[in-house]
Amino acid sequence: MFFIPGPVIAALTFPGVIIHEAGHLFFCRLFKLQVFGVCFFRFGNPAGYVIHEETDNFTAQFFVSMGPFFANTLLCVLFCSAAFLPVWELKVYDPLAYFFYWLGLSIGMHAFPSTTDLSHLWAQAPGLAKKGNLLAIVSLPLAAVLVVLNYGRIVWADLGYGIAVGILGPIAIFRALA
Amino acid sequence: MSDATCSRCGQTFSIRSLFDLNGITYCETCVQKASQEAKQRGQLSSYVPLINKSICARCNTYIGSSSDAVQIGNLRFCAACGPLIKDWDYPQWLKVSLAALLLLLVVALAHGRKYFHAGREMYVGERLVKQGRYTQALPHLKETLLTAPQSDKAALLAAKAALLIGDVDSADKALHGHNGGYFEDANKPEFKEVNNLWTRATGALEKAGQASKLAQQDGKEIEAAQLMHAAAAGYPELPSLAFAAEVYDAGAAFARKDYDMFLAISKKQWSEHPAPGTAASVASALACKYAVTGDGAYRQQSEEMLAKAQQMAQGNAEDLKGLDEYFPRIRYRLDHREIITRTEYDRRFRNGKAASK
Repeated sequence: MFFIPGPVIAALTFPGVIIHEAGHLFFCRLFKLQVFGVCFFRFGNPAGYVIHEETDNFTAQFFVSMGPFFANTLLCVLFCSAAFLPVWELKVYDPLAYFFYWLGLSIGMHAFPSTTDLSHLWAQAPGLAKKGNLLAIVSLPLAAVLVVLNYGRIVWADLGYGIAVGILGPIAIFRALA
Repeated sequence: MSDATCSRCGQTFSIRSLFDLNGITYCETCVQKASQEAKQRGQLSSYVPLINKSICARCNTYIGSSSDAVQIGNLRFCAACGPLIKDWDYPQWLKVSLAALLLLLVVALAHGRKYFHAGREMYVGERLVKQGRYTQALPHLKETLLTAPQSDKAALLAAKAALLIGDVDSADKALHGHNGGYFEDANKPEFKEVNNLWTRATGALEKAGQASKLAQQDGKEIEAAQLMHAAAAGYPELPSLAFAAEVYDAGAAFARKDYDMFLAISKKQWSEHPAPGTAASVASALACKYAVTGDGAYRQQSEEMLAKAQQMAQGNAEDLKGLDEYFPRIRYRLDHREIITRTEYDRRFRNGKAASK
C-alpha cells in the first residue's frame, strides 16, 4: 500500500468532489434546508463540504446524506460504460475513452458519504426503523456498509469502489443487453 | 441574558436549559409536550436550545434579541448572514460546469456507440460459443474484430469458434490480425485452449499437404490415403479432410486395381456431395469397370456421368479446368479399354508435363 496525500488525490479527481458537494446542495435546496456554507473544492480536508441545518425530517436527511452517493455512482456507471468497452474489453487505444474513464472513476471515487453525513443518518434511522419507516430500514444496512467502507478509505476503498462500479456496472449493463 | 421564563409553566430557568419551539420558549419538560402537540397539529415539532437562538446559526455572533436578526425556519441569523442564507444559490460556474458535464455525457455515449455495437456483438458471440453454437457465433465475433482487432478476448473467441467449425482461414485472420499473433498472457486458459486447437488444426493441414504431394506420385496412393486419414482424425472439425481421405481411398483402390471398391467409394461420395468432381470420379470408376469387364452397361453409365459432370461444371471455370484434365483420360479408358495412370497418360499424350490434379 502506498501513501498519496489527500489534496493530491482530490486534485486528480476534482470533478467527483464538486459533483458530490453539488449533490448535497441540490438536496438541501430540494428539501428547503438552510445552507450555511458551501465549498465545492479546496486543497484541504475535507476537499469540499456543505454545511446545512439539521432536520428531523428523515427523508430529507436521507437524501441529503445519500443523494450524492447515488448521483456519483450513477454518473460513474454512465461515463465508465461509455469507456469500459474500448479500455477493458476491446483494447482500442482511444484517448477520449480514457478521458471518460478517468472522469467516471473520479466521480465514482467520491461517491461515499462522509462520516458526518452518515452519523446524522445513523442517529435517526434505528428509531424510525423500529416504527416501520421503510427508508430507515433500507438505510440501516446501507449506512453500515458505507461506514465500514469509509474507514476503508485509508486502504483505497473509495478508489476500489469507483473501479468496481466502473467495471461491474458496465459489464452488468452490456451482458443484460447482449 | 442569563435567565428566561417558560411560556407554559411560567417558571424561570437559566437560558442554557430552555428551548425554542416555533418561536416560543419552553423549559425542558414543557417543550417535549409542546412538541408532541405541535406534531399532532401538523406544525413543525423540532425544537432547539434557546441559547442557539441567541447566536447566529451561521457565524456564531451573539445576537440576543436584536431586531436586526433574521428568523428563517427555526434558526436565527445575524443581519449579515441572513440574506446570504436566503439567497444561497448555485454559482454560475457550477451551472455551466454541470451543463458541460451533461454535454460530455452525451458526447461520451455517442462516441461509445461503435464500441457498444462491437461489445454487444462480442457478448452475443461469447454466449453462442458457450452454447457450442460456433457457426452462429463467428459472424458476431468477426464484426467485433472489425472495430477491435487488438481485443484478446474477441480474437481468441473468434479463433476458437472458427477452429471448431474447421474454418482455419478465419482463425488465422483473427489470430494474426491481433498484434501479428502476439498475446500478452500466454498462460491464460483461453489462450492455451486456442493454441492447442491451432496446433492440432495446422498439424492436420500439414499432413494433408504432405498427403496431397504423395498423391501426385504413382505408387504412393496408399501412403497418401493413410496420411490423409491421419489428418482427418487429427482435425475432425474440418469435414473436407475426411472427404479428401475418402477420395484418396478411392485413389488407393484404383492403385490396387480394386475397381469395385473404387466404384463403391465414388458412388458414396457422389450421393453425399453431388458435384462435377464426384460425378467425374464415378464416371472414372465405371470406365475402369468397363475396361476390365467389357460390359457395355458400365460404359453407358460412365458416359452419362461424364455428361452430368460437364453439365454441373458449366459456368464454373475452376470445375471446368479440373474436368479438362480428367475427361481425356476417362475417354481414353472408354475408347481403348486400357487403364493407365495419369503419369503414363501424361507421358504418352501430354509430352510428359505434369498436369494439375
